[in-house]
Amino acid sequence: MKREIIVASLKARPVRTIVSVLAVTLEVMLILVVVGLTTGIRDETGRRMEGVGADIMFQPPNSSMFLALNNANMPVAIGDKIAEIEGVRAVSPVQTLVNSQGGSLEILYGIDPETFDAVTGGFLWHRGKMFSAPEEVVVDDWYARAKTVDVGDEVELLARKFKVSGIVEHGKGARLFVSIKTAQEMTGSINRTSLFFVRLEDSANTAAMIKRLDETFPTYPARDMRELASLMTSSSIPMLDAFINTVVFVAVCIGVLVIFLSMYTTITERTREIGILRSLGASKAFIVGMIFQESVFVCVIGAAIGVVGSFMVARLVQAMFPTLVVLITGGWVARAVVFAVASGILGSIYPSIKAAAQDPVEALAYE
Amino acid sequence: MKPILETVDLRKTYKVGKIEVEALRGVSIKIGAGELAAIMGPSGCGKSTLMHLLGAMAQATSGKALIEGQDIASMNDSERTEVRRRKIGFVFQKFNLLPALTAGANIAVARTIHSGHKVYGDDPHLTELLELLMIQDKMDRKPSELSGGEQQRVAIARAVVNRPAIVLADEPTGSLDSRNSEIVLNMFRELNRKFKQTIILVTHNPELAAYTDRLIEMRDGVVKSDNGDHISWDISGEMATAGL
Ligand SMILES: Nc1ncnc2c1ncn2[C@@H]1O[C@H](COP(=O)(O)OP(=O)(O)OP(=O)(O)O)[C@@H](O)[C@H]1O
Ligand SMILES: [Mg+2]
Repeated sequence: MKREIIVASLKARPVRTIVSVLAVTLEVMLILVVVGLTTGIRDETGRRMEGVGADIMFQPPNSSMFLALNNANMPVAIGDKIAEIEGVRAVSPVQTLVNSQGGSLEILYGIDPETFDAVTGGFLWHRGKMFSAPEEVVVDDWYARAKTVDVGDEVELLARKFKVSGIVEHGKGARLFVSIKTAQEMTGSINRTSLFFVRLEDSANTAAMIKRLDETFPTYPARDMRELASLMTSSSIPMLDAFINTVVFVAVCIGVLVIFLSMYTTITERTREIGILRSLGASKAFIVGMIFQESVFVCVIGAAIGVVGSFMVARLVQAMFPTLVVLITGGWVARAVVFAVASGILGSIYPSIKAAAQDPVEALAYE
Repeated sequence: MKPILETVDLRKTYKVGKIEVEALRGVSIKIGAGELAAIMGPSGCGKSTLMHLLGAMAQATSGKALIEGQDIASMNDSERTEVRRRKIGFVFQKFNLLPALTAGANIAVARTIHSGHKVYGDDPHLTELLELLMIQDKMDRKPSELSGGEQQRVAIARAVVNRPAIVLADEPTGSLDSRNSEIVLNMFRELNRKFKQTIILVTHNPELAAYTDRLIEMRDGVVKSDNGDHISWDISGEMATAGL
């Protein structure tokens, strides 16, 4: 019966109902899309790291596992020493560059094609060929699709014009590759490199090799690439977590405030109805329960639309920006729904108590 | 006759800021089971206040109000809610139907609250009631799709459906034209006769006296005249233990 009263009152005030539902939809979509985007990008970055095919990433002292945050480098000659160690199959220096032009943050790899192929097993070519001049760049298929560039087209990276010489399958660390010489020249670090990818004869020896490298080069971090990739995809990254928490907090606040306002105004409007129910012998708990159920009902509908909408936005984003990944997980869907319902409950605590506390005689006299 | 409702020196004082308004200044009445009683009196004499106290809608300042021997005058909110749920049916001047619900759903709400679980659908008592009130074919309509007289008859059905000990009607014809007033009053009389329903009506309309056997006149918060003075009451059981 409560449900009939609730449905009838929601139907009787369609605009209020729609706005409340939309606010919760927005709340859920904000959570799912933003979290999905950040974790999706992180996840995809992790998979690209793994796709390099190296066993170990060797970096200069004080470097972060997030390549975009580094600018330290080391002499290329160290690579020769690593290559001499028994069990190492190939070593490839990579000078990284960060292109922040056009609003996005892209990592460029300055590579030496021969050793890079030896470590990674080589690119899968869609079109074109490897760069053969300093002003040439190889891009991956996602980048090509996102920027609608093809072989022979010009792209501007770090305020410099490059000609696309070839397009390769995505998944080899970066989306953009130039010659290491060009990269070194652009960073002003001739004969130096920001990292080495190391491929072993047998991947099973990775841990032992890292130990050995740590002994030989104590301050140089050597990281297990597979661990690194899974760290990126699964574990928490403090900055990212703080960002996600902020977004969730803001989203829940929107939900709580809208539900609060909506329920608060509706109980004032419905003072007389509440008086009628009380005159019929409805308890305070009945009134509280009714308001709670109404807002939870609104939230569940809003959440359902929000979840469906988020998946639609995810698809749209992927269609429009192929380099972006929106990762919506079951865990986050469940969390978003819980947040939505929680905001409904939080938002209706005060209005429901206020409604129930009204004096029945006064409520009935309310015009 | 057995009293179903009794008040003893019932008082109600409203505080408006620093001013105290004595709305009831010692009302003592007895209403018998199955009576149809009318309360009359000039505006502001305390009729509605008395109805609120008898209907367990408000707390008295002092005195007693016994319904079936139970003193409701000083009960707290949750106890009064329970009394309303189990024993009282209200009919208001302004109908007070839930506007978003159909007539049928309005009656169902009262049944659900009364029984504590969902009750919808037919019940011989309800069918009989709707026929008597001539609204059986109006159940799917919202209040806004009904005439005033029809709305008030739905409200009467809602008040009576749970067979309350007492039906309290505060100026039930106050918003109706004379033709509809007559219909509604006739229905109260029918309900009283057919179901032995105890009913207390408040009215300004002297013609209403013709419909009732019992007439209580109030003035300035007290009973001025009561044609039930001569009734001899069987005081027994709970009423006696309540010290009356
Ligand atoms: N909530 C209130 N606060 C203060 N005074 C009140 C309140 N309700 C009623 N009164 C006062 O109590 C007195 C009795 O009011 P009541 O409503 O019981 O009269 P009534 O007989 O029903 O009048 P009417 O015929 O106009 O409906 C009046 O003087 C009124 O002003
Ligand atoms: Mg009145």
